Amino acid sequence: MVKGKLLGILVVVGIIVVLGVIISGWFITTRNTLITLEETIDASWAEIDNQLKRRSDLIPNLVATVKGFATQEREVFTQIAEARSKLAGATTVGETAQGYNQLQSALGRLLVIVEAYPELKSNENFIRLQDELAGTENRIAVARKRYNDSVRVFNTKIRMFPTSTVANMMGLEKREYFEIEEGAREVPEVDFGS
Amino acid sequence: MKRVRIATLIMITLLIAIPLYSQKLPEPTGYVNDFAGVIDTGSKNQMDRIAKAVQESTGAEIAVVTVETIEPYGSIEEYSVELASEWGIGKAGEDTGVLLLLAMQERRVRIEVGYGLEGTIPDGLAGEIIDNSILPSLRVGEYGTGFLKGVQAVSGIIAEEYGVDLDSSYIVESKKYTRQISSGLSRLIIILIFLVLFGGGRFLLPLLFVGAVSRRGFYGGGFGSGGSSFGGGFSGFGGGGFGGGGASRGF
Repeated sequence: MVKGKLLGILVVVGIIVVLGVIISGWFITTRNTLITLEETIDASWAEIDNQLKRRSDLIPNLVATVKGFATQEREVFTQIAEARSKLAGATTVGETAQGYNQLQSALGRLLVIVEAYPELKSNENFIRLQDELAGTENRIAVARKRYNDSVRVFNTKIRMFPTSTVANMMGLEKREYFEIEEGAREVPEVDFGS
Repeated sequence: MKRVRIATLIMITLLIAIPLYSQKLPEPTGYVNDFAGVIDTGSKNQMDRIAKAVQESTGAEIAVVTVETIEPYGSIEEYSVELASEWGIGKAGEDTGVLLLLAMQERRVRIEVGYGLEGTIPDGLAGEIIDNSILPSLRVGEYGTGFLKGVQAVSGIIAEEYGVDLDSSYIVESKKYTRQISSGLSRLIIILIFLVLFGGGRFLLPLLFVGAVSRRGFYGGGFGSGGSSFGGGFSGFGGGGFGGGGASRGF
């Protein structure tokens, strides 16, 4: 009788231990997954930031080249300078996106102006700068996709049970998407026709 | 009963449709993947030889791909970075890969440059290579020649960067871009001047170090064979990464 009771207790304790091992194992794995995801998000954001800076550094050269051919287009140069400083002062994802959009539309206007100057369009220096600019745009697009993809996975995970319990204990919060205006996404093209 | 059958049908359709949808990207068949069937055999074979020589001497990988269309992707830029990353063109860890891509229906061509070669082939240079080497042939419908010239330009620039010697016919086109690739020569001259001025090897060592940090070292030594397992057949790309560098043009 006593033996049977002891066996019963042992079984219960055993089940509890096994469950404990399984749960803590799951907990650790989940925690690590979330940490990895956060790292991926931060790394992609760093890449976006990096490319935004690189583009910002390219713009003065581009503007200087355009100025050499189109001195009287002051307004657009001012707009570009304003957007550029706004982007440089951005601290959150939202502000960065806003500055990005503003700069993008100012650059769009600049490229429209360029159409009126055939000599500028075939200027070797201008073509190279525009290629560099387009390349940077494309890198931003790639980094942005990777960033938003990982944010999507992360935000879904931390809100879904049971992962949400771990996320709550870690104090994790939803991350912000890097949203830009779709029209602004058009990569500036260099196309000389034939 | 009927409902069960419909449910099963839906399940089966989904199971078939899902892999089909995600199989948008083709599998690599070699360095030259002429899926659109526009490259002549002569050019293809020559490009194969060049790409193999570049891979063996530097570890960098050059891939040529022609496709009928980039659909369902939105742009050649999107398709190109997905394909290059998926295939892993370039040496793993160094990300030294270059993809030359042509989309027939969209009439667009792109050079995609891996992370590790972005300094060697900046976007502006990639654009110049397309303009001066590839586009003239594409416009008259000579796709094979256009890409061969593109590959000859890229291989010469990479060889110069690594300080390795390739057969002169492999790199003939790169002579057009001497402005960007003269750095190796100018460094050699500077080193020689220093040697003449100061003699001893005391100054040689730090100079070599500077060279190795800023670029990839001028003296090709220490590269060995790179341990590649090429026995004639194509065994897949190395696993290089891409971040969207390069340039595109319409033709």
